[in-house]
Amino acid sequence: MKKNKVTFGTVVKWILIILLVVMQVYPFVYVMFSSFKTLDDFRQLPAYALPSSFYIGNYITVFTKSHMLTYFKNSISVLVGVLIPLLLIALMAGFALSKIKFKGKKFLLNYFLLGLMLPMQVALIPLFTIFNKLGLINTYAAIILPQIAFSLSYSIQLFYSFSKFFPEEILEAAIIDGCNPLGCFFKMVIPMSLNSVITVATMQAVFCWNEYINAYTFTRSTNMKTITLGLNDYVGSMGLTDWGATFAAITVTVLPVFIFYFFSSKKMLAGMSAGAVKG
Amino acid sequence: MQKAFGKKSIIFLFIFPAFLIYTLFVVVSIIWAGYYSFFDWSGVGSKAFIGLQNYVELIANDKVFKSTVWHTLIYTVINVLIQVFGGLLFAILLSRVKKGRTALQTLYYVPVVISSVAICQIFLKLLSVTPTGVVNQLLSMFNPALKVMEWTSNPNISLYVTAFVEGYKYLGLYMVIFYAALIGVPDELSEAARIDGANHIKEYWYVKVPYIKPVIIANCILVLNGSLRSFEFSYLLTRGGPGNASELMTTYMYKQAFASMKYGYGSSVAIMIVIICLVIGLMFRKITGEGKEE
Repeated sequence: MKKNKVTFGTVVKWILIILLVVMQVYPFVYVMFSSFKTLDDFRQLPAYALPSSFYIGNYITVFTKSHMLTYFKNSISVLVGVLIPLLLIALMAGFALSKIKFKGKKFLLNYFLLGLMLPMQVALIPLFTIFNKLGLINTYAAIILPQIAFSLSYSIQLFYSFSKFFPEEILEAAIIDGCNPLGCFFKMVIPMSLNSVITVATMQAVFCWNEYINAYTFTRSTNMKTITLGLNDYVGSMGLTDWGATFAAITVTVLPVFIFYFFSSKKMLAGMSAGAVKG
Repeated sequence: MQKAFGKKSIIFLFIFPAFLIYTLFVVVSIIWAGYYSFFDWSGVGSKAFIGLQNYVELIANDKVFKSTVWHTLIYTVINVLIQVFGGLLFAILLSRVKKGRTALQTLYYVPVVISSVAICQIFLKLLSVTPTGVVNQLLSMFNPALKVMEWTSNPNISLYVTAFVEGYKYLGLYMVIFYAALIGVPDELSEAARIDGANHIKEYWYVKVPYIKPVIIANCILVLNGSLRSFEFSYLLTRGGPGNASELMTTYMYKQAFASMKYGYGSSVAIMIVIICLVIGLMFRKITGEGKEE
């Protein structure tokens, strides 16, 4: 009797689990399959059907008729421009706030954490007018700087909680051997915090790659658009006429994230949960 | 270490870069938006100082703004339900599995890493009516009338559809966090409960879920903050429409400023958003007592 009950429960459990996996993954599988459909497939087959052949014309359309490669180049430039300064200054601040005792430290921490509650969109109007005056609209700086600023709260919080576990004795020894604090930071703190740096980097990289509103507001010309914008514009300009190319465009923009994610998923998932549970 | 690092110049060196960028772009921007909110200004030409008139207009006469506040609240509640409770259920399910946990965890997290733009595009295709998308095609097997069911352009449901899509994207994120918390519950506790005769449901209800309550509260705050300032799903999926049916505070602000060229009025909406976010966020913290122990 009891054994029967357990197996019944297990069956229900697995059905649920598989159902949920299908729900979470199917939309992307559907998009990838649909990107290989021809125009006739879209007209004749039901939407959920597999493509009748392996047609790559949609991808050719995407790469020849849109500026996909420019968008990629822009997204990569923005990513590098955001990540390196962000990680450096957030680790410095997070480390100092967590390890050095000084007056006003608690206030500063709360000051930084306040940013978690402030919506980014609110800053867009003043930033737009200022960037406009300074002639920064359509430059990487206009996309990068606000992103660094608004990612600081979260990154500092994570580095703050990770730094609590940093062993101080090693720094003590280095200082006695004549290493100055900045030297200690670059020679010891950064290498020893590599795990948390990678965690924050992977998370912020995904946020940054997917960022929309900033790039949307501060760029006007096609040659400055990032990949998320490019996708939207592309779909908009093609409208309902070219579904195949739309699906191909979505696939092209999503695929790099997928590849990156499947290589870094272990780190990212661990960091995500550790940061939030302990934070 | 304290002696070497505790020098004012060193502390300054470590904290000032972050402080400067954060203050300039986050804090000053918001103060600046507060300054603009006292003007009637189209973004070009001269600003006319009108005092609190934007706020009076906003609170007394602007029915659309009121509805966007209401929409944002509904949106937030739906998202807390989907992300926090859905995430918790997923996490419990996952913690009951022995084989393939890592693979499942990885797969559940997939929508989290995809950009909102792509998710919105995908859902627009799935929910499409002409040509019939997958969802309507499947539904029409049960009831042919559902083949022409409008999702994003039906004013009665567009807000819920939008909220659902955002919930869908972030569900996996909270699942992962809850899962990490659940497997951190000490084994002795569940063993004691089982010896006392608790079944699995009781074990979770009385032991494991109460044990991770701080994590649940922390996640509620994260979802709350995220949903109150949500922008992309409403803007990209339904354009806030049809009419203003799925307009949120942030999309309304954006449109006032950048489409209607009312920079002063848009700024006053922005300041109202900040106030609402801070009030709700701090209230929730106070009620739940989160952040006291730090």
